Amino acid sequence: MEYNLILDGETAPVEVETEGEGKISVTIDGVKSDVAYSVIGEHRIRLVIEGKAVDVFVTGDSSGKSILIGGESFLVADKDAAGQPSFRKVAVGSLPDVVTAPIPSVVVSVAVSEGDRVDKGQAVMVVSAMKMETTLRAPYSGTVIRVNAGEGDKVMPGHVLVDIERDEDGEGEHV
Amino acid sequence: MFKKILVANRGEIARRVIHACREMGVETAAVYSEADEKALHVLEASEAVSLGPSEPSQSYLNIDKIVEAVKKTGAEAVHPGYGFLAENARFAKRIEEEGVVFIGPPSAVIRDLGDKIVARRIMKDGGVPITPGMIEPGPDPARVAAEADKIGYPVLIKAAAGGGGKGIRIVNSGGEIADALAGASSEAKSAFGDGSVYVEKFFPKARHIEFQILADSHGNAIHLWERECSIQRRHQKIIEESPANVMTPELREKMGQAAVAAARASGYVNAGTVEFLVDEKGDFYFLEVNTRLQVEHPVTEMITGIDIVRKQLEIASGEKLGIRQEDVMGRGHAIECRLYAEDPRSDFMPSPGKIKYYKEPAGPGVRVDGGVYSGFEVPVDYDPIVSKLIVHGEDRDKAIARMIKALGDYVVLGVTTPIPFMIDVLNSEAFRGGDIFTDFIPRHFADWKPANRNKREALIAFVADELSGRASKKPIAAGKSRVPSPFDTLGNWRL
Repeated sequence: MEYNLILDGETAPVEVETEGEGKISVTIDGVKSDVAYSVIGEHRIRLVIEGKAVDVFVTGDSSGKSILIGGESFLVADKDAAGQPSFRKVAVGSLPDVVTAPIPSVVVSVAVSEGDRVDKGQAVMVVSAMKMETTLRAPYSGTVIRVNAGEGDKVMPGHVLVDIERDEDGEGEHV
Repeated sequence: MFKKILVANRGEIARRVIHACREMGVETAAVYSEADEKALHVLEASEAVSLGPSEPSQSYLNIDKIVEAVKKTGAEAVHPGYGFLAENARFAKRIEEEGVVFIGPPSAVIRDLGDKIVARRIMKDGGVPITPGMIEPGPDPARVAAEADKIGYPVLIKAAAGGGGKGIRIVNSGGEIADALAGASSEAKSAFGDGSVYVEKFFPKARHIEFQILADSHGNAIHLWERECSIQRRHQKIIEESPANVMTPELREKMGQAAVAAARASGYVNAGTVEFLVDEKGDFYFLEVNTRLQVEHPVTEMITGIDIVRKQLEIASGEKLGIRQEDVMGRGHAIECRLYAEDPRSDFMPSPGKIKYYKEPAGPGVRVDGGVYSGFEVPVDYDPIVSKLIVHGEDRDKAIARMIKALGDYVVLGVTTPIPFMIDVLNSEAFRGGDIFTDFIPRHFADWKPANRNKREALIAFVADELSGRASKKPIAAGKSRVPSPFDTLGNWRL
């Protein structure tokens, strides 16, 4: 399989072959390396690259990982990973007209409560699925009349999570 | 000795004071704002008093609230740390008036030394060399220009009440005086409420060297050698060391005597720091006295073995110094790196946020004065200092090697730190060669970018981390057990 990873604004193609449990071979810039890896802790993995040990500290997921190696820190993202919050610009004009999760998810946080005024595009809820967090935004300006899910709830696509009463004079927009 | 003191500060310096107190059997009362409810200084103090909202003016800078906390806890003394109210003469006076001991110099000394012109006058009278220039405020441009002509350009226009680089102008010729004077004065007026400015000689290539002083209330005053603090960004020190590279026993003797003379001339009591400029010829000039415990005090503690915070408490409770000048010895070399949550790639902009994972380096000669932990949110409201990393080695080269190793072992995930920048500075020829002046960073590291030596390893680490499933092994939020959906268990499928 091939990854297209973004590091420091540049895309690096990384060719990976699985060689066995915890063993891969990785080709970058035409140079192939045998790699063994193991998980040491929640934020620590050990790599052995061509026999050389590398102690790695890491946080984040496919949409972006912060990787620390020997005092150097790197932000690496997978260009092809779905729904990369840090790389995808949310086009406010193309929002759906209800607040709902795109795929089955778990609610991470709720940013609004009943009676709150919200502006179009304002973050109202963060949901997490497949290790990725997605921010759900208000489709139009208005007033929150009900919040239908709380932190930790499992939610499904189509399930309206926040009911928002649209402003009558909401800049005349009709989504 | 006091039974209980209140620590009117937060973060690593509050912890530093609390730790000294615990060793001395002194109880501690911490204060905290809403942003610091889960901060380490709160967790480690004997008791803690909430000050309220996070805004500094509503918490750590609020004299009334702190005085109230002192009364409530029955603390006999207040340690102000550094920053916040540490050099606020009004605060010190208020504490004195409440019949409580301020762990620092008398309020009148803070007031006098806080005014740069008054301080210059005191030092001149006390026989301490000051930079050529005025010892009275100079609002009249013609007079300032005449003075500038006399001392020779370039000159510096400075605010009398200044600090933090505000109200300062460098003037290269007589034609620029009027504009610079007006600019500095209005900036000083808005920053400090006092538009008084004066002119002094500017030394473009100078070292910033300071002396740690200790003075007791029985007339004893000594110095604890010097610290070299020329590595600065935005007029703030980020790497400090002791001894200084240029120091010779003869120069130390002369400057140390001047520092002690400065303490005596100003009636100083407790720990303080006398800052000097040292020019290329080795001539030195008084700059100012910092009437507080300095951020970089650990480098002095490392080479002298003297616990400065303990001394502060002893002096404040009326004890004698108990150390003579000839007892003070410096051993080896110490370096401190200040680690802020900031990004060296974008002009050291603060990058506050949640620390996802935190692991401090350890080993012989390694000291960390920190104030954070895994899961701690570095508040946006205050100085974003994460910690100070201090090392001690047999000599400068060994201390540098030890610092580079310790920085490499330091793990901070979640916020950006200047660790890669620090490593490159310490590795540079310029730093190793001791070519250190206050313009070091703009001169040698203006366009610094990370070398990304481990770029290939980082790419491999990304892939290995994806395949290992480490990220999905996160524990589920407490009390929220749930049946895993196929989306949790799918793993990382790729076609």
